[in-house]
Amino acid sequence: MKRWQKITLAAGLLLGLAFATPKDTFVHMTFGEVDTLDPAQAYDTASGYILENIYETLYTYKKDSLTQFEPALAVSYSISDDGKTYTFQLRKGVKFHSGNPMTCKDVEYSIERLLVTNPGDSAGWFYAESLVGYDVNAKAAAEEALGENPDAKKLEAFLDDYWQKIDQSVECDGLYTVKFHLVRPDASFFAKLMYTASSVIDSKWAIQNGEWSGTKKDWKDWIGRDLRQGFLHAHASGTGAYKLIKWDGKNVVAQAFDGYWGKKPAIKNVLIQVVDEQATRIEALKRGDADRVTINDWATLESQIRGLPGVKIWEDKAWAPAVASAIFFNQKPAAEDNPYLGSGQLDGKGVPANFFQDVNVRKAFAYAFNQDAIVDDLYLGHGVKLTMALPPSFLGYDPNIPIYNLDLDKSEEYFKKAFGGELWKKGFELTILYNEGNTVRQTIAEILKQNIEEINPKFKINVQGVQWPDFIRAVSKRQLPVFVLGWGADYADPDNFIYTYYHSRGYYGNKIGINDAELDKLVEEGRTLTDPKKRAQVYSKVGRRGYETVPFVPYPLPSPFIVTRDNVTGVYYNAMRSGDFLWKDVVKK
Amino acid sequence: MLTYAIRRLLQLPIVLFVVSVVIVGLLQFLPPSSRAAAYVKSEQQLAHLDEIIKQYNLDAPFYVQYWTWLKNALHGNLGFSRVDKKPVLESIATRLPVSAELVLYAFLPTLLFSIWLGTLAAIHRDKFLDQLIRVMAVIFWSLPTFVLGIALVAVVYGYFKLFGIGRLPPELYIQLSQQEAAGQFHFYTGLLTLDGLLNGRLDVTLAALKHLVLPTITLVLVLGAQIVRVMRSSMLDELGKDYVRTARAKGLPEKVVYYKHARRNALIPVITLAGLMFAFMLNGVVITETIFNLPGLGQWAANAALQLDQPSILGFALFTAFIVALANIAVDLLYALVDPRIRYE
Repeated sequence: MKRWQKITLAAGLLLGLAFATPKDTFVHMTFGEVDTLDPAQAYDTASGYILENIYETLYTYKKDSLTQFEPALAVSYSISDDGKTYTFQLRKGVKFHSGNPMTCKDVEYSIERLLVTNPGDSAGWFYAESLVGYDVNAKAAAEEALGENPDAKKLEAFLDDYWQKIDQSVECDGLYTVKFHLVRPDASFFAKLMYTASSVIDSKWAIQNGEWSGTKKDWKDWIGRDLRQGFLHAHASGTGAYKLIKWDGKNVVAQAFDGYWGKKPAIKNVLIQVVDEQATRIEALKRGDADRVTINDWATLESQIRGLPGVKIWEDKAWAPAVASAIFFNQKPAAEDNPYLGSGQLDGKGVPANFFQDVNVRKAFAYAFNQDAIVDDLYLGHGVKLTMALPPSFLGYDPNIPIYNLDLDKSEEYFKKAFGGELWKKGFELTILYNEGNTVRQTIAEILKQNIEEINPKFKINVQGVQWPDFIRAVSKRQLPVFVLGWGADYADPDNFIYTYYHSRGYYGNKIGINDAELDKLVEEGRTLTDPKKRAQVYSKVGRRGYETVPFVPYPLPSPFIVTRDNVTGVYYNAMRSGDFLWKDVVKK
Repeated sequence: MLTYAIRRLLQLPIVLFVVSVVIVGLLQFLPPSSRAAAYVKSEQQLAHLDEIIKQYNLDAPFYVQYWTWLKNALHGNLGFSRVDKKPVLESIATRLPVSAELVLYAFLPTLLFSIWLGTLAAIHRDKFLDQLIRVMAVIFWSLPTFVLGIALVAVVYGYFKLFGIGRLPPELYIQLSQQEAAGQFHFYTGLLTLDGLLNGRLDVTLAALKHLVLPTITLVLVLGAQIVRVMRSSMLDELGKDYVRTARAKGLPEKVVYYKHARRNALIPVITLAGLMFAFMLNGVVITETIFNLPGLGQWAANAALQLDQPSILGFALFTAFIVALANIAVDLLYALVDPRIRYE
């Protein structure tokens, strides 16, 4: 090296001149911190993103497909005729990052641990629903069944029974066969087993480090426990292609696992760096310090990213997130002490609690909503209008159901019909709340306000932004007459949405007081059907019924996109993957 | 002086107790569902709100919650930080070095640089130099930190490709994490510039220093501007006093008058301000930390406050009270050093 070259290099190093990250290194700068690395506790995308790369489940999604699956830790499976027993043959020769071999004992431990602990803020509920018959942990179930201060003996008997159910739900037949016994047939169980909560953990290593023993001896100590304070919260020994090197509460460093059973990944080192400020992420991308960055919205993408040299935008019209969101019309808001109902009467200064029980009011609101404005102005044309509260990529989504879009004449017509014409004469006033910072929800509320107030000067809508804690309180107290919320898929099965939204006992159905026997019947029918065609037909009927009765109006979803440096390949979009794609599929040119 | 310091230190537990009662008390005005915000991130979790409130005992009465916290705190357990996903003490322990390192490199330069400029401005009162310094001070003082910070990131880091964001370049961060896991690198202090030296890794120290340049410049400019203004006016005050006239009448050289006599006395209000600024910086400078991606105390506290994460808020408040108290004591002691007339006996 010549002297001037040496000097230039030294000066460059000293000043920190940019050199793109090495070929075997993948740096993703994103926002949103990992909550926990314990699979049984994690229930957010930031955590799921890491877990899906360091742990594995029995089966998994095939690349970008939500309907095709491939074996991971299992090699084959079968379902009994009654639909209640699932048998999996496990892959042999799989090693955990600790070096321990993976056997059926680990699968049994992982799933039973999920059922034993099942803290309220985890995903354990939908496994417990299938395998134990309750959607809560043993203590919460006991309280529901026996009241707050139950007789000690009765409590003991109840807990014993619950333990029996857990113990019997997963069973090993030799080292490499595992059986799951369901309490009733559940068409979505297979899909549930692909969620990161059912990742297989290294039982020997976990027990050695102070986690649950895997036996009845100490199970009661672990019921409902906050697993963030346990060993697996920040330590991991999975079977995934990557092993965890460090998680400092913010950034995650992972390294390709030499003993991985599958194909050796091209990327050796991974850094997931939390950079809250978007402007900083963009500069890092430009400079090549980041191989991938997370961009918040289409407006930023179009104005600041598109056209940058060395940057690639991955997008496809067919992509849609596994999310459904809606504007809900609450038919049963709290009547007492509710500031959002104004006077609580039909007197022009408020609304009565039964305001949205009149289908005309719901339709009038639905026709006052401008879906085109959301797609065109907010998503700059990159959006999908939903015909029903189900992601378009899911089984049963019917694109042929009509949607409500802006039609002020129709809106006026329904307002005039509502409450026998009284509403039109007297007018009303109500408040729509949104959580600050959520521009989509805010815009939707503003659109409704503007359009509805235009129809009749006696109609008044207040739009109010509040902090997340206050928003949660108002929703939980059932105070909001109208609210905008969504649901992200836990597992790729339509029941996860259909039941939540349309059934009178589903989370949203119940919150907004849906009371429709026909809907309930259809939803329950769909749950038990195993034939996808028949199921899809039933769900189409659910969607149509939803259109007629308008308990809510689904609003458009933004199309997803991925931003990387242009030397990154192997990128795809799977709506069920928290990170859209797996690190092991990435190759840098 | 020692008795004074001890007496002040003994008041500290009372301050901490009052602060903790007030914070827990204030949080009790919020209903349990609001206090559950730190536990509820998604609609899915919202669906299990009642269960979550029960699980984390959020509906227990004030005295029960306070007593539980106090009992644990007295045993050295300040609770679990929801926003940081680790025990509160560990959060403080890992984040303090990040803020401290920034303070280490930003505080002294800020102080010295602005005292020098402030003095210079006062000496050259109403001349061009004074006007220039005053205008610059007003500009930087009124410039929002995020504007200056983002401008530095976009121009210096992004366009000229100089220095860095975060604490280390990505490759080095990965390498150190791997070496730490393998026992080949130890984070003794958490101060990367120092740990680099202790591990015999000059490259780590240099890289860490490079990554501190931009946030340091931001802080020096924004915070320094305030000190310049205070220093200038305080110096002008002193220059107009009788003892300065006497000194000049005695025929002392101007330099001695300025630097030995007037500046020494003019430093008193600057020390007060600097003490507060020191405590403020050590508690984290939220915006600077966010823009340059430094996981310091400020970021943590801001998130905790937004999400009503009680253990973190309490932990941070107690830490702040502690630092502010210490800084005040230090300031008082410094007064005595600067001005021999001040005595604390």
